[in-house]
Amino acid sequence: MARKPTAPLILVALAYLASAGTGRGQTLQRLTVQTFVLSTDTMQPQVDVPFHVIVTLHVRERVSQITNLQLPMLAQLELLGDERQTLSDPRGTQYREVVTVVVHDAGRFAIAPATLQAIDARDGKPKQWFTNDLPLSVHSSATRIANGVAGGLLRYVARVFAALIWLALLVGAAVLTIILLRRRAPVAPAPAAVLEPVSYQRVPSEAELRRRQIDDALLVLRAERTRSAAVRVRAAVWRSIGAPEGETLGDVLRRPGCGEGPLRDLLIALERSAFTYDEDLAAAIEDAGAALERYAESLT
Amino acid sequence: MTVERQPGDLRAALAKTIVGQDGVLEALLLALLCNGHVLLEGPPGLAKTLACRSLAAALEGDFKRIQFTPDLLPSDIVGTRIFDQRESRFATVLGPIFANVVLADEINRAPAKVQSALLEAMQERQVTIGPESHALPDPFVVMATMNPLDSEGTYALPIAQMDRFLMKINVGYPTREEELQILDRFAMADTQPVRCVATLDDVRTWRAAAHAVHVDEKLKRYIVDLVAITRAAQSVAVKSTAGATLKAAELIDYGASPRATLSLAFLARGRALLDGRDFALPDDVRAVAAPALRHRIGFNYRLATENVSADVVIDAMIAAIPAP
Repeated sequence: MARKPTAPLILVALAYLASAGTGRGQTLQRLTVQTFVLSTDTMQPQVDVPFHVIVTLHVRERVSQITNLQLPMLAQLELLGDERQTLSDPRGTQYREVVTVVVHDAGRFAIAPATLQAIDARDGKPKQWFTNDLPLSVHSSATRIANGVAGGLLRYVARVFAALIWLALLVGAAVLTIILLRRRAPVAPAPAAVLEPVSYQRVPSEAELRRRQIDDALLVLRAERTRSAAVRVRAAVWRSIGAPEGETLGDVLRRPGCGEGPLRDLLIALERSAFTYDEDLAAAIEDAGAALERYAESLT
Repeated sequence: MTVERQPGDLRAALAKTIVGQDGVLEALLLALLCNGHVLLEGPPGLAKTLACRSLAAALEGDFKRIQFTPDLLPSDIVGTRIFDQRESRFATVLGPIFANVVLADEINRAPAKVQSALLEAMQERQVTIGPESHALPDPFVVMATMNPLDSEGTYALPIAQMDRFLMKINVGYPTREEELQILDRFAMADTQPVRCVATLDDVRTWRAAAHAVHVDEKLKRYIVDLVAITRAAQSVAVKSTAGATLKAAELIDYGASPRATLSLAFLARGRALLDGRDFALPDDVRAVAAPALRHRIGFNYRLATENVSADVVIDAMIAAIPAP
């Protein structure tokens, strides 16, 4: 089945949607974040060939699990598997999540950063950390072969060039070290280095988060009017109101505040777009979009 | 879907007569929409007969009640042939099963051959009397009751026979408020008969509409998973009344048949139509899962020795499968 290419912007939007799982009133962990990185086993994945997206988090505390870590929603990727590992030792806790994905369209896009909300153990303030984002260049098999032939020569030249640069850098570093050692007086041993978190900012308020998620959901539904987009938006809206996966609409509507007003209409409209028959899908998504707009208005 | 009178109208009309018992009313309507039959288990005096009679009246259909007793014969149900001396030939007298709504009261009081005569008619929708086959009316719904309080002198229905019922409903006592309403409605004045709100043709149209209700692939997988877990429930934990934790699989001899899978899909479609939708939702499946499964699972002796309710096991299995 041919898939429509969608704007990389949607991925960024979906990252916000994915961060919706911060359920109301959830306690933040007290952590000293040392490393928080998003990586992949290949920066040039091939169409229809599975690869891994890896989130690595290292914190100084010993914890049995990491909560409030949100992966970006991998809109252009098909999710094949998700494996989480938490290892604790006296030096802290290493959390590693390996998501196996496959991409069906060639092109360039970026995976938005993963986020972590926690109380920073250094100053006791709630913060949100972000990993790096992950630009990917997806090749079709044909492009790969063509690139392979031309790439052979280029790689050889690049290797020679890289070796020369390394040599120059080493010489430069050695000269710089000698100059610094001569100029600086002996000093006391430096305290143990403390790695700063990659980046962080104030944890957004629940209302801000909800508004952002709804705006992004609208963006997604307008850009991709498919059932899978509707299902993803439905899941994101459910997470934003703290409803776990596996519940039915009836369960969700019984939650406080969900069974009335624009939110109720939105939940029902999204349920319809997820389960209705194909001929009704366009109208169902249209209604879901309108319900999203009404709900967004009710939040302001 | 262009049906002038909706099944919801029928439910509203019945609710004016029957207080509470929403499960029984919904089961009756679902049986009507899905062309199936209902088994009811509950103590006497819970408006089962009234519900059936009201349904038949609301549809301008025929209603018959058969009281099952140990001396009942198959011919008492399906009919027989008698010799007409004036015409000097055998004439067929059709039994009480020839009605649109049949209440088979205390079905487990009759011996196996009578039970199977009824169940065969339910399945085939025709009976053979002598050399002639007679089609049963359409629609044809059997509501069979069993009394759980009085088990002496009864013949338990084999699972294979029970499998022919679309659903089994456990009828409970009304709430205090409902019982007060019953007092007001029935003890103080004459009951208002249910007026006709739909025709038998409407029922046939609704059935076609129910058949066309869309069931998404995700829902189909959910249905299959629900049935499959009844056959391999090792991962489902159940608490006994003594507080012991048991695996559901230890309490089950055999799980539900593929007929349960079909029934779940039919019932989900019917419930969606009752709700005015032409597509089914996970809520529809979950709502009908217990009634569609409870009489199709073979529980073993440990259920009784561990003092665990069959419904607790079924609910635990349903809860173990996340809705899509």
